[in-house]
Amino acid sequence: MRHLQIFFIATVVGICAAVTASAADIKVIANPAVGASSVSADELKGVFLATKTSLSDGSHVEPVLEKGGPVHEAFVKEYLGKTDAALQTYYRSLVFTGKASMPKTLAADAEVVAYVAKTRGAIGYVSAASSTAGVKTLDVK
Amino acid sequence: MQVKAIVLAAALSIGPSLLRAQFDFRIDGRDVQVHSFASQGFMYSNNNNYLTMDTSNGSLALTDFGVNVSTAITDKFRVGAQLYDYNMGLLGNFHPQLDWGYGDYRFKDWLGIRAGKVKTVQGLSHDVQDMEFLHTWALMPQSVYPIDTRGDTIAHIGADLYGDFSVKKAGSFSYTLFGGKRPNDADGGYLYGVDTMSHVPAPQGGFMYITAQTKDVTYYGGPVYGADLHWTTPVKGLLLGASYMVQDITTTGTYTKPVVVPYKLTTVTDNATNFYVEYVLRNLRFAGEYRSEPKIVQLNEPNGVLVQGFQDSRSGYVSLSYRFTKWLELGSYHSRYVDNWPVTHSDPRNHIFDQVFTARFDIDRYVDFKIEGHFIDGACIDGVLDHGFYAAPNPNGLAPKMHMLVMRVGYHM
Repeated sequence: MRHLQIFFIATVVGICAAVTASAADIKVIANPAVGASSVSADELKGVFLATKTSLSDGSHVEPVLEKGGPVHEAFVKEYLGKTDAALQTYYRSLVFTGKASMPKTLAADAEVVAYVAKTRGAIGYVSAASSTAGVKTLDVK
Repeated sequence: MQVKAIVLAAALSIGPSLLRAQFDFRIDGRDVQVHSFASQGFMYSNNNNYLTMDTSNGSLALTDFGVNVSTAITDKFRVGAQLYDYNMGLLGNFHPQLDWGYGDYRFKDWLGIRAGKVKTVQGLSHDVQDMEFLHTWALMPQSVYPIDTRGDTIAHIGADLYGDFSVKKAGSFSYTLFGGKRPNDADGGYLYGVDTMSHVPAPQGGFMYITAQTKDVTYYGGPVYGADLHWTTPVKGLLLGASYMVQDITTTGTYTKPVVVPYKLTTVTDNATNFYVEYVLRNLRFAGEYRSEPKIVQLNEPNGVLVQGFQDSRSGYVSLSYRFTKWLELGSYHSRYVDNWPVTHSDPRNHIFDQVFTARFDIDRYVDFKIEGHFIDGACIDGVLDHGFYAAPNPNGLAPKMHMLVMRVGYHM
């Protein structure tokens, strides 16, 4: 009975781990034309909350979001300090007062990589295990 | 009849798809975004008629909708505009208006300029108070965000200087400096209220308003300027802020009784100060605002005598909401308005206190439904303005207490 309990708990923990992610599981990527090789957490937050339109090296950047999933949830929570619902409300408050456009939102890591690779100034996030051919990875300090 | 049924069926089947259609497109290589929203409300009160609606019998006269278009011309320069239309009881009358329309040039992250018709940034939600899909509540706290006078205060024609900057370990700041002119809202609550009220001396001094159609008021507007500062503090989830605004509003029209002569109300002083706080912890949100607006106005009586009126209004609210699931959020707020601070606060003629409980259901990403109960104490009967309790739709007088049900369905895309 005790082995069954341990097995059950281990299974639940395993499932939870599979559907959640942390900052360590995320890579921040950018179009190769972006000059910077690293970005501060404050800069990253500013870019994705539309209070910054360029990095410290002067590169103009535009954020790309994912529609949902564990990587998106982790990025929004860890780097922006919001839930997805709160982030959507925040962007809508900007869009419906004319202060910003809705950022590009894509369904999966592969789409994000493809879009960032071809779009000057694009900056996004994908899972650490994703292939990032054609884009550069930014260190988050 | 059969053709009409077929057309209606087609519209009902295609409509939802069209509403959710992607309306982004490209012109000359630039992305152009189109967004829209609409809401329909129902209100029922156990007595009094509120917001010029026939709420004592149940009223559906609460409708609004809008559409905006915007694009980035360059990396630093954006343009856009939003059209808005509404009807609320005897106000609005579905006269479409330019909600905002401006050019926005961002020199640096810490300095940008917007010029045109711009939503005025004051407090936590002044510029977005009418976007119901952004809020937990079916009706925002009316002490700070009166929906009936929305058009009189929500925007200015002029310019903003704005920007964002961080101060190392002190957090980050967003500032707005604005100046311009208040546009005239011919269908708003202010002109309706002034039109249907008459000014008489008050027993306690100053003046008071009683119901009497004695004038035809046609214009409200004038210079306005001010500032707002948001501080995102180093404490995670905590935002503090303050706003200040000076208005020099002139109201003009014509007395129709007892003689036909010009009517003019001018502002001697009108300064509004706001302090606000927001704290967000995961799905929990706490917010509170305090507003003080002392003002002195001067107007001419029909006999030509100039009189001054003094008002020192204080208002505010505290609110708490929690998102339980993706589709359910519950919340409550307590809102208080005192029309003239030196006068007895407990007198229902001098205050409006509102305890509210709300459930918000997000049907999907685009559609929300809210059901909300209001327990209102006071009706500000002797107020300089009506604050939702207009005398003309309440010919039998106003009861000091009222319970009200509000339901509202909204869509945005």
